[in-house]
Amino acid sequence: MGLCHGILSHPTPGPELLHQTLANGSRCVLAPMPESPLTCLDFWCRAGSASERNGEEGLAHFLEHMVFKGSDRLGAGEFDLRIEALGGSSNAATGFDDVHFHALVPPDAAAAGLELLLDLVLQPALQPEAFAMERDVVLEEIAQYRDQPDEQVIQHLLSACCPDQAYGRPILGWESSLQASDPEVMRQFHRRRYQGPHCCLAMAGAIPAGWEQWLQSSALAGLDSKGDAGPGPTEPSLHFRSGRQEQRVPRLEAARLLMAWPAPPAREQTTLMGFDLATTVLAEGRRSRLVQRLREELQIVESIDMDLTSLEQGSLVMLEACCPPDLVTRVEAEVHAVLGAMVDAPIESQELERARHLVGNGLRFSLEAPGSVAAIAGAQTLWRGPQALLDPLLQMEAWDGPSLQERIFPALQPELASTLIALPADPA
Amino acid sequence: MATPEWIVDAISTPGVIAAKLWLRGGSGSDPLGQRGAHQLLGSTLTRGCGPYDHLQVADLVEGCGAGLRCDTHEDGILISLKCQDSDARRLLPLLGWMLDDPHLAEEQVELEQDLSLQALQRQQEDPFHRAHDGWRQLAYGGGPYGHDPLGIAAELDTLDVETLRPLARQLARSQGILALSGTIPDGLLTEMQAFAGFSEPATDRDSSGATGLPIMGKTDRSERVGLQPLDTEQVVIMLGQPTLPHGHADDLALRMLQAHLGVGMTSVLFRRLREEHGVAYDVGIHHPARAGAAPFVLHASSSAERAELSLRLLQEAWDDLANRPLTAQEMALAAAKIRGQIAHATQTSGQRAERRAQLRALGLADDYDHTSLESLATLEPEQLRRAAARHLHRPLLSLCGRGAVIDSLATGWIQRVERNS
Repeated sequence: MGLCHGILSHPTPGPELLHQTLANGSRCVLAPMPESPLTCLDFWCRAGSASERNGEEGLAHFLEHMVFKGSDRLGAGEFDLRIEALGGSSNAATGFDDVHFHALVPPDAAAAGLELLLDLVLQPALQPEAFAMERDVVLEEIAQYRDQPDEQVIQHLLSACCPDQAYGRPILGWESSLQASDPEVMRQFHRRRYQGPHCCLAMAGAIPAGWEQWLQSSALAGLDSKGDAGPGPTEPSLHFRSGRQEQRVPRLEAARLLMAWPAPPAREQTTLMGFDLATTVLAEGRRSRLVQRLREELQIVESIDMDLTSLEQGSLVMLEACCPPDLVTRVEAEVHAVLGAMVDAPIESQELERARHLVGNGLRFSLEAPGSVAAIAGAQTLWRGPQALLDPLLQMEAWDGPSLQERIFPALQPELASTLIALPADPA
Repeated sequence: MATPEWIVDAISTPGVIAAKLWLRGGSGSDPLGQRGAHQLLGSTLTRGCGPYDHLQVADLVEGCGAGLRCDTHEDGILISLKCQDSDARRLLPLLGWMLDDPHLAEEQVELEQDLSLQALQRQQEDPFHRAHDGWRQLAYGGGPYGHDPLGIAAELDTLDVETLRPLARQLARSQGILALSGTIPDGLLTEMQAFAGFSEPATDRDSSGATGLPIMGKTDRSERVGLQPLDTEQVVIMLGQPTLPHGHADDLALRMLQAHLGVGMTSVLFRRLREEHGVAYDVGIHHPARAGAAPFVLHASSSAERAELSLRLLQEAWDDLANRPLTAQEMALAAAKIRGQIAHATQTSGQRAERRAQLRALGLADDYDHTSLESLATLEPEQLRRAAARHLHRPLLSLCGRGAVIDSLATGWIQRVERNS
């Protein structure tokens, strides 16, 4: 396969990763990028919203906020002040499966930044007063999302296709669950999930000398080695519900056709690569099947996209088309026709090569900045263990036109999808 | 066509090259009654040029797994290409063809026009966008920065190929700026020189090319408040003023104030609105680099019952700028943030190429960021306070939310402003 060979044998295929696993099961991955003006420190933990138990809905994300309110050693705001006074920045993100906290700092501040970051994340103070104040902020965040009709439409689809499951409920949680929570419940969640086997530290940029010794004596090494096994992402159990719904949404200006399909869990990398190639053939670029047919030829959509979201309990493929409300029925029929045609004949070799290049470069183009390198390396190592940055591209070797036709496109047919038609509440 | 200025920035990357072609003349140059024309022109440039029709362009670019896009900003059109270094020879000539021989096929123009009209309508779903549109209208009125680069639907709807042709000719005549950053293949520059669209790279350009750009946005409009009624839970608040071009003598002071007020979790707005009062999630400042009077806008969104407190906190933060000099510690922190912003913005080949093209387009020296960092050390708190007094003295307020709520907020705000003036 030309692309795989080209990318993997390129003289500069991105940073080479160094991996280490501590006695307590926590992992560390380093990506030396000595010329980078910044070093990214990225702490990953298997503590996304899928780790929440009944009554904890929204706690994983709320804890992400609370971490920045200080630790037993650092006062509220002290971490931010010390990082930003160095010209650095920090942030965090919570997903369904995991959460990560990252700081970008000048290289000479990396060692000190690591100490601070681990202290903040692993020893959060969770003071009651700060807890109450930050809960108000999260409630404002929920209100802000509720004011975005497109967010509401996507959430409605997720709730429909993954009912009564973590992936079907908002990561931000519900007002009621947040109002009922308290610092002790959050502390229990933290104790349960922020343990050695669930954690991974990624670092990209200039790596401080003596990092191996430092790591052995760091707060990461001091974590408990047990960890909580469940309920959580360790038991793959996505129960997908197909079907079709229509919804009227206030303040929606354009109609949406949304479709979702189940795909294998993230650990099945080879099959997921097949889905990645298939969605690229279908909806990435003007020459993709759906864009060419619906936007370029028929001119009945403003946009049409497909995304593969890789998830531990079972991944999701999502399609979203935006169009004038009076065209949505026709758009749905045309989407069905294009999807149906994919199982009738193998795709052209030119289409497959195009998809390989787009998928390959999507990863390659992410390897320039330490922030994105640390994120890729951290997530890979957290869930899959040691692996080179470009290893996922090797999975492309397994796919050709006939195999995509036989194994992937039949899984992306309309009758298997959960479909949502969202229309403006007031057609006028 | 006029050959573009070249900027070449060879750096080590994972085999990636980014090209940014900046063309002067963005939505701020849309002719009277043709708002949206430059955006429509820009988007159509990628739909056929030189020897390639729209399908062949897509085949060429997507077949290499490359990215090609055209973004119309207020001050110019930015064409971005990102590809593997090994594909640069095949793809870079496209940028020249887009200027030299854009096809502007009628059916492609109509398609882009239709897509833009739909996008304009869909933007109205977002209360932040509505509030921003309202503020822009309040601040710049019918001036160059007064409309979304996508245009005004009623005017966009009237455009056709014939209205775009003179703009395309003008674009080709104006001197563009082509910045390349990343892994530059051996011999690439020599080969590109041979292509009709590109001139010899000017690697040692005199960097004293300030162009004396006009300051726009000095509005004589008497309105201070714009209201966008929408049935939402939150109120989006935007409070600010048109200020200065990037590179103006006082702009570094404003950027220090921006860093102090709105950058990072130590910023005044983040601490006061989020950490001390818990009244908002998303707070910040919008102060882009512009050739004319750039907006300096504080923004936050709060639920209806907390919006009054949020507005008061924003106003207090605004008033402080001209009334209270920053402490030495605040100055040091703001300077560190600016140093950090510059480092953050040079991480990828695309970021580096875009910044280099932007500086040339603004008539600023290639080493402007470096000299700005040196100037930071000499700035005094009183200089910042005076800059705020000169340029941040008449804020305009845009609100988006439920009608009764924003009416009441606006009335209270005007009363306070009049009382204090």
